[in-house]
Amino acid sequence: MNDSLHQRAKQLIAQERIEGLSAADHQWLQQHLQDCSECVAVSSATTQALRSLRAVSIPISANLASRTQFRVRLRAQQLQISEPRWRIVWLSSAASWIFGAATAPYVWRGLQYLGHRAGVPNIVWQMSFALWWALPAIAVGAILLAENARRGSESDWLTQLK
Amino acid sequence: MSTTYILAATPVADRIHFFSSMTTDDAKFIALGLRRQDPDLLDHLIQQYQYRLFRYLMYLTANRERAEDFFQETWIRVLERGHQYDGKSKFEAWLFSIARHLVIDWQRTKKPLSLDAITEPDDGAPKEFVNEHDPSPLQIALTGEQQAAMQTSLSKLSALYREVLLLRFQEELGLAEIAAVLDTPISTVKSRLYRGLEDLRLLLTGETV
Repeated sequence: MNDSLHQRAKQLIAQERIEGLSAADHQWLQQHLQDCSECVAVSSATTQALRSLRAVSIPISANLASRTQFRVRLRAQQLQISEPRWRIVWLSSAASWIFGAATAPYVWRGLQYLGHRAGVPNIVWQMSFALWWALPAIAVGAILLAENARRGSESDWLTQLK
Repeated sequence: MSTTYILAATPVADRIHFFSSMTTDDAKFIALGLRRQDPDLLDHLIQQYQYRLFRYLMYLTANRERAEDFFQETWIRVLERGHQYDGKSKFEAWLFSIARHLVIDWQRTKKPLSLDAITEPDDGAPKEFVNEHDPSPLQIALTGEQQAAMQTSLSKLSALYREVLLLRFQEELGLAEIAAVLDTPISTVKSRLYRGLEDLRLLLTGETV
């Protein structure tokens, strides 16, 4: 029996466990194993290795699940509290953006009129318009930054709880 | 009426009874519960998957304390990102995927290592998730005399091979599901499985890997 037959048999022994075999390959392997003690040993060793692998047990801390459940419930409560607040922030932002887009031409003209009346350079009332337009985004950004800072300090506190 | 609506109107005791009879295949139900951030469902899932998730994390990190930390963080992520689970795949595959990403993220912050270096070992010598010189790898966790040979073999085996062997032969996941957990092509999963199985057999029979 040549090496390539043994190689094929070894390949099929692994394939049988990993992917499964076609009927023809299965039949070929069975026939080969009847005549080849070397490949029978490989097959038995593979079966034994997998049996041992499946038998591996890893002890787990008795209170790990309960500690985790506590942390998850705590986090769920935090999320429940913060969720409506965020909804208000996003709704306000959306409303502000829609209102801003709809009124922009009027605000532009209004500021232009006031600028001319006051005799200030164009850049001044144009900057005022830009500020008016950016104000809601600046407010949301500030809220997000404050929230991130608060979350950071909370997670430090949670780490100490573990 | 869908399960969600039935459950919402059911007393807590009955809901707990429902969870205990829930099958692990009920992925759609889990997806709905996670979208609602249902605390009872999460309690049940933590209880149900505690051993399997912890074992997976032990295989990845080979360190008990780290595995416990990742265990807790994984469930926090499940709570926060539960809406991303669509119920089309097995819940455990999604759970393991979250756990794996946490470990990889931690590994990346620990030392400047590219994600490819962690996830693509087939270009040469396999890389470990953890420092080889870390004390007390799996051996500490595994107990019993009959497992002595397996202890030694597993601790010598690359973490990436341990991982696919666990997912295939202990978790009984399909190749496509393992590929989804690992976020890698099926061909890579197969090659790791073949190599891992071969290495494990050789280690157990005392031959050179």
